[in-house]
Amino acid sequence: MKRHVQAALLALTGLGLLHAALFTDLCLRYVKEGQRPLLIASGALLVLLGLAGAILDRTAPEGDGHADDHDGTHAHGHDHSAVPRVAWLLFLPALSLLFYAPPSLGAYTASRASDQAVKKEQHFGPLPATTPLPMTLSDFTARVRQDREQSVRGRTIRMTGFVTPAGKDGGWYLTRIIFTCCAADSQTVKVRMYGTPAAPADTWLAVTGTWHPGGTLGTRTAPAALDVHHTTRIAPPINAYTDDLPLTPS
Amino acid sequence: MYKTDDVAVVAERTAIDAPSCPQERRATLRPWVIGVVVATGSVAVPALTGVGWLNGPAVAAWRTVCLAITVQALPFLLLGTLLSGAINAFVPADLFTRVLPRRPALAVPVAGVAGAILPGCECASVPVAGSLIRRGVTPAAAFAFLLSAPAINPIVLTATAIAFPGNPAMVAARLLASLVTAAVMGWLWLWLGRAHWLRPAARHTGHQPGHSRWQEFRLGFRHDFLQAGGFLVLGAMAAATFNVAVPSSVLDTFSGSPWLSVLFLAGLAVLLAVCSEADAFVAASLTGFSPTARLAFMVVGPMVDLKLIALQTGTFGRAFALRFSTATTVVAVTASVLIGGALL
Repeated sequence: MKRHVQAALLALTGLGLLHAALFTDLCLRYVKEGQRPLLIASGALLVLLGLAGAILDRTAPEGDGHADDHDGTHAHGHDHSAVPRVAWLLFLPALSLLFYAPPSLGAYTASRASDQAVKKEQHFGPLPATTPLPMTLSDFTARVRQDREQSVRGRTIRMTGFVTPAGKDGGWYLTRIIFTCCAADSQTVKVRMYGTPAAPADTWLAVTGTWHPGGTLGTRTAPAALDVHHTTRIAPPINAYTDDLPLTPS
Repeated sequence: MYKTDDVAVVAERTAIDAPSCPQERRATLRPWVIGVVVATGSVAVPALTGVGWLNGPAVAAWRTVCLAITVQALPFLLLGTLLSGAINAFVPADLFTRVLPRRPALAVPVAGVAGAILPGCECASVPVAGSLIRRGVTPAAAFAFLLSAPAINPIVLTATAIAFPGNPAMVAARLLASLVTAAVMGWLWLWLGRAHWLRPAARHTGHQPGHSRWQEFRLGFRHDFLQAGGFLVLGAMAAATFNVAVPSSVLDTFSGSPWLSVLFLAGLAVLLAVCSEADAFVAASLTGFSPTARLAFMVVGPMVDLKLIALQTGTFGRAFALRFSTATTVVAVTASVLIGGALL
C-alpha cells in the first residue's frame, strides 16, 4: 500500500467516524450512545493524523530505507511503510459509514433470536391509574409472568415496538432489540399480538390492548401476549435499541 | 485466510495497474488515481449488480453487525496503537533489559506482569516482542510478554468490565488465567524451547540514528493502526458471519455440555480472530454458554488466533509459530478451566 493511500485511508476512516457520530445519528444504529464521544475524538484524531501524514510525506526524504513496498516480496518485508494487504479491508467500513450505512437490526434478527429471559423482579409496585397505561415490552412481560398481584388484569395497555412476523400462520410479535454494548450482543424482547393482521415487518407501531388470557396470570404459564384493540403507525425512534415507554399516550 | 488474500491481491493489482510513473510530480497523483478507482468501483458494482442483494435482510443484518463490531473497537484500537507507537519511538531501547531480572526463570513472570503496561492489541505486541528479543531480552521472557500484553492491559480489562457489567470476578479470572498461561508458556520455552526454531527478526523497531523520533512514531503508528485495523475488519466479518448465519439453537447444543462448550469456544476464539480489545463484547454476546467457556474464549483469543499465527509466522518463522500456538492453546484452555472453575 502506498504511503499516500495510507494517509488517505486514515483520513477516510476518521471522516467516516465523524460522519456517523458527529454530523448524523448513524452511530446509534451500531453502538451505545455512551460511545459517541470516543468515536468523535477518534474520528477527529484520525483525520488530523491522515492530513499531517499526507503533508509530512510530501516533505519527507524518499529512499530512506523505508521505501514503499510494491508487491510484498521485499526482502525483509516488515518495515513501517510496508502495510500488509489486509489493511485494504479498512476501506470497507469507512466507505460504508460515509455512503451506504446499513440499517438498525430489525425483524430478521428478532425472528431468529431465542426468547430473551426477562430478569427476575423481586417486587412490583402498584401501577399508575392512567388509561391506556404506557408500558415497556420488558415490563409487560415481567408483570404477566411474575406479578402475583395480577395488576395487569383488565388494564388497557399501550406499548411501542416494531413488527416481527411469527412463522407462516400470519401471527406477529411486537418486538424491541436491546444490547449492552454494540449490535453484536443484541437480545430480543417479544410480545405476541392477537386480533389484528400483521403489518409489514419492521413497521414501528404503537399498540393498545389488553392481556391475552392463557395459563395463570402472574406465573410462567401465562403467555406474554396482547389482544390488540388499536394500532397506530409511529416514526422509527432515532435510538431504536432501547425499550422505551411510549411517549404521551394519545 | 486465502479468500482474504485474493481480495487483497485484487486490491493490490488495482494499485499496481495505476500508471507507473517515474516522475515525482505524477507520483503524487497516484492516490487520486487509486481513490477514483475505488470510488468508481464502489459506485459501479452496485450500479451493475443492483443494490437489492445488499439490502436483503440477512445481508443487511450481517453488514450492521460487522460495522458495529468495527466501529465500537476502533477507538480502543486507535488508543492502543498510539501508545505502542509512542513506546516504540520514545522509550529507551535498553530500558527493558535493565529492568528485567537477570535469571531467565525470574524474568518470565516479571515480563508477564509487565505486559500490563503495554496497552495495545495482539497485533501490536508481536512486533514488540520481536524487537525485545533483538535487544537481548531472553526469548522466554519476551514470549511471556507477548502473550500477556494483549490480554491483561488496562484497556482490555476495562473493556471486559464494561462488557460484563456487575461481574468483577470475570475480570479477575481473565487477568489471572492470562498471567498464568503467559508464565507457564515462558517456562515451557526455557525447558523445551530450541533456538533454531526461531528465525531472527529483521524488523527495524525502536529509535534508529538518523531518523527523527516523531517521524518514527508517525510511521510506526500508521503501520500498526492500518494493519490492526485491517485484521479487525476481517475479525468483524468472521464474527458477523457467525452471528448471523448460525442460529442460536446450534450454539445451544454445544452450550449444554460444559466440556464441549469450553473446547468449542476456545476453537471459536482461534477462528474468529477478534481483537483482544473487542473480544470481551463478543464473549458477552455468547449468552448461552457457561462463564468458564466464555473465559476460555477471552484467554485463548488474545494469545492464539488465525491472524496471530500469520503474524508470528512472519516475525518468528513457521517452525516456531505452529509449535508455539498449539502449546499455548492447550495451556490456555487448562488455565481457564482451573481458574474459571475456582472463581466463576
